[in-house]
This record gives sequence, C-alpha cells and structure tokens, in this order.
Amino acid sequence: MNQASPESQFSPQSIVMLRASNLSHRVDLGNDTLTILQGVNLEIKRSESVAIVGRSGSGKTTLLGLLAGLDVPTEGVVELDGARISELSEDDRARMRAQRVGFIFQSFQLLPALTALENVMLPLELGDHKAPGAKARELLERVGLGDRLRHTPRQLSGGEQQRVAIARAFAADPIVLFADEPTGNLDNQTGETISDLLMALNREQGTTLVMVTHDEPLAARCQRQFNIDAGRVSEADQAAVEELTR
Amino acid sequence: MMSATRKLTSVRRDWRERDVRVVLAALIVAVATVATIALFASQLQSTLVTSASAFLAGDRQLESENGEPIPAQWREEARSRGLETAQMVEFSTMVLAGDEFQLVSVKAVNKQYPLRGEIEFQKEPDASRQMVSRGPEQGEVWLNPRLLKLLNVSVGDSIEVGEKNLSVTGLLIRTPDGGFNMSALSPRIMMHAADVAATQVVQEGSRVEYVNLFAGEEPALESFYRWLQPRLGPSHEWESIRDGQALSDSLERAERFLLLGGSLAVLLAAVAVAVASRQYALNQRDTVALLKTLGLGSRSIGRLYLGRLSLWGLAGMVGGLLVSLPLFWLLTQLMAQALDQPVEPRLDVMALTPALLTALVSLFAFAYPPIRRLRDVPAMRVLRSQPGEAGEKAWLDVVIAAVAVFGLVWLYAREISLVLSLLGGMIALIAVLVLLGWCLVSSLKHMSGGGSAWRLALVGLYRHRRASLSQIAVFAMTLMLATTLILVRSSLLADWQAQLPEDTPNHFLINIAPDAVPEVEGFLKARDLPLDTLYPMVRGRLTQINGEPVREVVSKESDVGALNRELNLTWMSDLPEDNRIVAGEWFDPGQTEGVSVESELAEKLGVDVGDSLGFTIGSDTISEPVTSIRTVQWSSLKPNFYMAFPPGGALDGMPATWITSFYLESDEKSDLNEFARQFPTISVLEIDHIIERIQDIVRQVTQAIEAILALILAAAVVVMAAVVSATLQDRQREGALLRTLGGRQSLLVRSTMLEFALLGLFAGILGVVAAEVAVWALQYRMFEGEFRWHWQIVVPIPLISAVVLAFLGRWQLRPVLSVSPMLLLRRLE
Ligand SMILES: Nc1ncnc2c1ncn2[C@@H]1O[C@H](COP(=O)(O)OP(=O)(O)OP(=O)(O)O)[C@@H](O)[C@H]1O
Ligand SMILES: [Mg+2]
Repeated sequence: MNQASPESQFSPQSIVMLRASNLSHRVDLGNDTLTILQGVNLEIKRSESVAIVGRSGSGKTTLLGLLAGLDVPTEGVVELDGARISELSEDDRARMRAQRVGFIFQSFQLLPALTALENVMLPLELGDHKAPGAKARELLERVGLGDRLRHTPRQLSGGEQQRVAIARAFAADPIVLFADEPTGNLDNQTGETISDLLMALNREQGTTLVMVTHDEPLAARCQRQFNIDAGRVSEADQAAVEELTR
Repeated sequence: MMSATRKLTSVRRDWRERDVRVVLAALIVAVATVATIALFASQLQSTLVTSASAFLAGDRQLESENGEPIPAQWREEARSRGLETAQMVEFSTMVLAGDEFQLVSVKAVNKQYPLRGEIEFQKEPDASRQMVSRGPEQGEVWLNPRLLKLLNVSVGDSIEVGEKNLSVTGLLIRTPDGGFNMSALSPRIMMHAADVAATQVVQEGSRVEYVNLFAGEEPALESFYRWLQPRLGPSHEWESIRDGQALSDSLERAERFLLLGGSLAVLLAAVAVAVASRQYALNQRDTVALLKTLGLGSRSIGRLYLGRLSLWGLAGMVGGLLVSLPLFWLLTQLMAQALDQPVEPRLDVMALTPALLTALVSLFAFAYPPIRRLRDVPAMRVLRSQPGEAGEKAWLDVVIAAVAVFGLVWLYAREISLVLSLLGGMIALIAVLVLLGWCLVSSLKHMSGGGSAWRLALVGLYRHRRASLSQIAVFAMTLMLATTLILVRSSLLADWQAQLPEDTPNHFLINIAPDAVPEVEGFLKARDLPLDTLYPMVRGRLTQINGEPVREVVSKESDVGALNRELNLTWMSDLPEDNRIVAGEWFDPGQTEGVSVESELAEKLGVDVGDSLGFTIGSDTISEPVTSIRTVQWSSLKPNFYMAFPPGGALDGMPATWITSFYLESDEKSDLNEFARQFPTISVLEIDHIIERIQDIVRQVTQAIEAILALILAAAVVVMAAVVSATLQDRQREGALLRTLGGRQSLLVRSTMLEFALLGLFAGILGVVAAEVAVWALQYRMFEGEFRWHWQIVVPIPLISAVVLAFLGRWQLRPVLSVSPMLLLRRLE
C-alpha cells in the first residue's frame, strides 16, 4: 500500500513507519532450535504509540530488538521508515539507529564513568552534532535534572537515572523510540512520573513510540496494543481494552 | 540464612567470577616468575662458582714456593673437617726422547686431582677431545700436543723425565687450573705425583711448587683456614677463587644482574597481584553490602574475606610452584646444553620464600584494605555507596602497600641502593604522571566528541581519566621495570664484549732477556702478529710501609695475597689505556721518583698517596713514596701490575726481564714451535684456553640473562593484560551501548585503538624516563659503569607499547563486535 517513499506522501499520519512481514525468529540451542517468534505481521504508523504486552518469556524483547534492527530475524522482513533494515549491513543499520532511533532500557544502561551530561551527549557526538553540550543540557533541564548535570549515575536515584536515559533517547531527535519496560525497575509513583514524561515528550516531538511493558496503565495510554502469545502477535481490540481498563 | 551466605560466598561461585580468575592468574604468574628466577639464579650461581673454582681445580689452594712439601698433617686436619684434598707438584725440567730434548713444565698430580672441573684430554692427535676427571696413571705421561713435534714422538712412545721412563698415553689439552701463573713454563706435561720421586729431578732446595687443593662446604673451608693461618710461613700462599681472578668481575656483575632481575620480578608480580586483587576487592563491595543486609556482622565479614584471600593465595602459590618447577627444570637443561656438561638441578628451597611472600604480601596489602574499610560502613551506606573510594584513604592504602612491597624487594636483594634506585624511578614516574594527569584534564576539558575517531578517543581519555591515569601508571611501571632490565642487560653485554674482544691477546711471552727484545719483535713482525706493549718485569717483595715491617702494619686478619709472594714490579712511562688514576698524579715525563699502586691492594694495605713503600729485590732494598693510586682491569687478561715505577726510577739497573702478550689464531699454533726452537729460554704462556673458557662462561651467563629477560617480559605482558581486563566489563558494556546508539563498528574500533595507543604512548614515555632514572642510579651504585642515554632502545619502547596496547584494546572489543547489540536489551552485565 504505502510502498512509495515517505516524502512523496501527502499525510504523514498515513505513512507506515514500521512494518514487519512474516517475521520468524529461531535460536539454535545446540541440539534443537527454539522458535521464539512465528509469522509475525504488524504495521505501526508515524507518531503512533504502541505497547507490546505478553507473558514473561513470550518474546517481547526479541520482537523489539528485531523491529529496532539490533538483531536480524531468521525469516521475514522489517521495514523502518521505508528501509528494509533486516537486509542492511550492520554498519548501515548502525547509521540508521544513530539518525532515527532512540532507546530506553529497563536497566537504564547509563555509563557509570560518565556524568549525566556526558551520557546524554553520547548519541549527539556519534551523530556529529554541532553543539552536543548545549543540546544535552537543554534536554536534561526538560526532564527536570538541570541541577544534576555533573552527577554520575551512581549518585542518582533509579527514577533520576531513567530520566537521564530518556533525555539521552530523545537527544538525537529520533523518529522512532523503542523502550523495553521503561518503568520495570521503578516503583509505581516514579513509574508514573516517567510514563508522563515519556508520553509528553513523545507528543511534543511527534515521535513514534514502541514500548514493551508490564505496566497496564502505561500500556493503556498507548494508542494501540499488541499481544504476544506463543510466538504469535495479535492486536488487541482497542475498544475492548479500554472497556477492560476502565 | 547462614547457608545462603555460604552459597553466596562459595568457592565454586567465586571461581565463576572473572575477577577471581584474574587474581589467581596473577598470583600464579607472580609466584612462577619470582620462584623460577630465584631458583635459577641460585642454580646459576652454584654452577658458575663451580666453573670458576675450576680455575683452581678446587675451592681453595695452598701453594708452597720454598721447595718444602706441605705437611701431611695439614691435609689430615682438612679431611677431618670434612674437606676433600688433592695434591700436585709443579716444576720445570728437561725431558728427553731419543736425540731430542726440551724444557717442559711438569704438573704431577695424585689421583684425587682435580677436585673441581675436568681435564680435557685427547687419546691421539686426531681423536676427539674428551673430558676426564683424573690425571694419568703411574708410569704414564700426557703431553702438550706441541711436544709431539718438538720431541719427535707419538702416542705409545716413551720419554725420559729425569731418571724415569714414562710412556706417552695421551695428549693434555687443558687443565681446569690452566692457571695464569707468570712463572709457569710451557709446554706442559702431566704425570702421576707418585712417579716424581723416581725421576730424582726434585731435590731439596730445587725450584718446585707444592700445591694442595681443598674442596668442600664454605664454613668448613673457613674454619680450616682459621686453623691453618697461624701455621703458614712466608712462602705459603692461600688462594681462593675470588682473589683477583679474571672472571670474578664478570661473575659479580652477572650475580647482580640476577639479583636485579629477581627484584624486578618481585615488583612486577606485586603490581600484577595488586591490580587484580584490588579490582576483585572493589567488585566485592556489592556482595559485602548484601551480606551486611543479611545481618552478617562486620567481624564475620572480615574473617570471611581473610579466609577467602588465604584460600586464593594458597591456590595461587601451589599453582605458581607447579608452573615454576618444570620451567626451572627446562632452564637447567638449557644451561646444561650451553655448558656442554650435565647440570644437577639444585632445588634451593630458600629461594622460594620471596616468591611466596611476594604473592601473599601483595594479595593482602592491596585486596584487604578496601574490604576492611567497607566492613566498617553501616549497611545502609553500603547499599547507597558512592563510586570510587575516599581518595585520601585509597592513597594511604597504596602507600602502605608500596612500603610492604619495597620492603620485600629489600628482603630479597638486601641491597639498599637497588631498592632506592627502583623507588627513585617509581617516584619520578608518579611525579611525571601527576603532571601528565593535570595536562590531560586541563587540555581536554572543553573537548567534546564528534564523529571522528580522534575526537572520540581524546574525549574517551578525558572521561575515563581516573581509570586512564591508573592504567597509565601500571603500564608505565611495568614498562619501566622491563626497560630497566633491557638497559642493564645491554650495557652488561657491551661491557663484557669490550672486556674480552675477539682478538684479546691469548699468548704471553715471559722471561725475555733485555738483549733478546729486538729479535723477538722481529720474529713476531715477520709473521704479522700484532704485538702488545713490552713491559719490563722485576720480581720483588713488599717488605715495609713507612719504614715499618709490612707484617706488623697490616693486620693478620686481612688476607692480602700479594704479601705472601713475590710481586711483579715494572716501570712504564704511559698509563695503560684501561687503567685509571683515582688518587695522586701519574708520573710526569722525566720524573724518576715514586711508585703507582693498584687501588684494591692500596686499600687492603691501608696505603695512601704520600706513604712510602719499601721493597726487597734480590739483595737490594728500595724505598719510594706512593705518588698515585690507579685501578687496573684484571679481567682484561693483559699484563697488569700492582706496582709501577717511572722509567729511570728506583728499578733502574735492577735485573729485569721483559713480558708481552699477543694474539694468535688457533691455526697458527705451529708458529709457537718455531718460536720455542729459536728462543729456548723464553717462556710462552698459552692462555687461549682460559680466554675461550671465560668467553664460554660469559656466553652462558648471557643466555641465562636472556632467558630471565624473556620471563620478565612475559610477566609484563600478563600484567598489562590483567590491567586491561580489569576494565574489560565496563569497556564492553560501553562498546555495546555505543553500537546500540548507532556507532559504526569501524568508528568504534578506530577510536578505541587510538585511545589505547595514546595510553600506551604516554605509559611508554613515562616508563622509559623512569627506567633511565633507575638505571642511572643503578649504574652509578651497582654496576660501576658509566651512564649514557640509550636512544636506540628508548625510542622504540613507547612506540611498541602504543602498538601493543592498541591491539589489546582492539582485542577486548572483540566480543562487542561479534555479538549483536541485542545484548543490552538482554541486560547482560
Ligand atoms: N539467544 C537466545 N538463546 C536462547 N534463548 C533465547 C535467546 N533469546 C531469547 N531466548 C528465549 O526466548 C524467549 C523469549 O525471550 P524474550 O527476552 O524476548 O522474552 P520477554 O517476553 O522479553 O520476557 P520478559 O518479559 O521476561 O523480559 C525466552 O524464553 C528466552 O529465554
Ligand atoms: Mg524482556
């Protein structure tokens, strides 16, 4: 349907940002193979926010990694912003990530040796940004850590660390943001603050958000939800979900 | 709960931790290196001392020059003290074979000879040379091969020695005590001591030397000498190997080198264990925190960790010994091959002590303080602990540990100047490091990365400045130690080469009558043989110092060999090239007054410039003031003199003969026969075998030194790898994150390699500077050489270190590159 390049399209909303076609992923366990994902098809449009939910071990992280181009599927195709990233070389995928993708991890993944500011500067420097310091400071102020620029991750609380990670994720102006259980390591209240921040930034920047979460209220705030079970993905009926969570 | 904590701290779980494996590896390398070097040094020392004592054919030698045999009861006394003894008699005589006759020097030995070393012997002129451990049987004689032609005999014939017919059963190539005795005459024959009486050549008062050899344990030798000393007469001379032997200088320096090598091994080992164990300790903080929250008291935690550290220490020591023993055995086999003689591996248990101590001290000194400090902190604080530690306290730890480690080096080497030299080098290193750190911080502060590998590398250096500086410190220290050894090694080898170059004069002409001098010169010139300077030689005894009899002035305890025999006195106008004036002035042209004394003898006699020395020469006595004191290169094997007078001075008109030396290649030996025919009264002293021997030994020692150097360098690489691997996890995580954030592999590789290359370059420059400081101090204090810069060695080292580290950096990045960045999502550490 939307095979033409995004620029030629009239309405950005109608453009498919992410598409997985017939995606399967298997890992070799020596004597037998484990099928994690089986024939997954999905489409995510520009600026949509999507939650992926499912039992533990159902393959959510695996799917996220494939959609983000961190790994290549055993079968099938992943298209990100019109590029078939599952067929790109590792370096091209890296360039793609540097320019268009942001990440938020459950365990924050801040570098302990660097200050908050330096951590946020990292993707900017990789992307050869002109003034990485100024931009990073601006983002940290936006997430409410303007006075903690010079602190290292160990001097920050978990919630603060995740806010630094969010600032880092938005630093390079990504068009897609992937988050793997961003509130998984935080208490409810802090989790909610983080969720608010994430959704707010997402709205402001018009980013596409793909997020794996166990946090039902957070999932409910997303426009769509996918459910993974036994390696298969099905889209939850939005109306039904809303009814359930009401 | 107790079982849970036990599980948390179980040995098996520990083993799975990389930190623990690194600690163990470091311990094993530490113990193995120090133990191997110490064992090998002790082995080498005993082998070399044996080689050197072979110059006497025993450990000590008692010579009687007065024609009186040495009393048999002295030998009995020696045997009762557990010493072995052997006897020999040396004299010169004419031997006859048909119409031919020849003056020879006879060495008659009993069947115990030699106590040390072996005799090199040939059955026939064409037969292969073999080593035998005893001389000819009664009724037999072995000849210097030159005598076959001179006497026109062959093996199987018989010759007449005085009244006794002896049958020639072999050729004497070399005796272990192929001595360097000026009065010895060549060519030499060897016969059995029991045949001497039957020759009737040796009679009361004839010029003959009786020699007794002794061998055994050092304490027994010393106690025997204490017993013997009061009984010695003026014509008795007691000699030990170290008395003015040509080899002793070289050996002493080799020993010092081994000592230095061992000390460096101790330091390197300490650095390796320190780095690894400190990393382990710091990473244990989380576990300690957990244990505290589980309710374990701080005392139990202390005990727990003391226990583990002991356990790992023990495992490391056992492992290290298991590695070092086969290595040691291999080295002795190599040595045996180089020496061309079997070497009995001698396991010196004492030599293992420093190795074990090094491992334990560095383990506890560096690993325990951070844990100990942690156990005093309340559990809550532990959980929210800050990265790094309170700076001052960590510094204090390091200082205490450094004191412990340098204490170890002192314990090992017992040489304060060595410890101070190395410490000085280290301090220089730290000083430059602090400066470098300051420069790094202030110059890179405002730098931010930007796509290019260079900028990323510099930013990386700045951002990891704490880790970078401590890594530079350790690399630099390692490089300093290795460079020190390389520098000392090359100056040692250069000195040895200079001492005995290929064309060292290997023949002496002694007893040249004054009127024969021009003819001898003519003979040698005609054969294109380069002639060393001719020296006059007058034999005389030192009898008085400042008018007092020498025996009274010089205390009995100081064993001055030169007083027990006639000295060779000479006159010369120019100072020999390798002598150096240390006090007073050399003779001015035209000066006829004064005498120049060799410095060691002057020290033993307590003689200084201005004192007057009295000599007895034949029936004359002369007295001269000391005008200069000079050092002599005894190891040069050139004519050297204790006492030198100016030309036209006190020795003028005394009965003199002349002495010179020259170099003869082994295939020109036949020239000697002609010489002996033309100048029957001149003695030819062949020292070519001695020189070959010394060159052999120097070659062996060189090999040993190379082996030790290789060992140290291997240890250095292990230390570097340990340091790099200490930050491996952080680096890998960082690499994975950078890749996830979109860093291209090539960029990552280039910036990491650059960063490490810069680290290596800085560390290399630092290490080399510190090594030069240490070598300067060492050279000055220990090796007495002259200091010079070593550009050719010093310049490549920082470059090599940069390249090596760049590849180490590349290597540690390897898992990050080969694995997909999915890793981070999976939360692997
Ligand atoms: N490389 C691999 N080798 C072996 N098994 C793997 C590998 N990657 C994923 N798996 C397995 O695949 C399944 C799905 O893993 P995945 O991490 O995607 O689950 P998840 O839905 O994210 O679970 P959770 O909610 O606990 O994070 C799990 O059973 C996991 O053990
Ligand atoms: Mg997951």
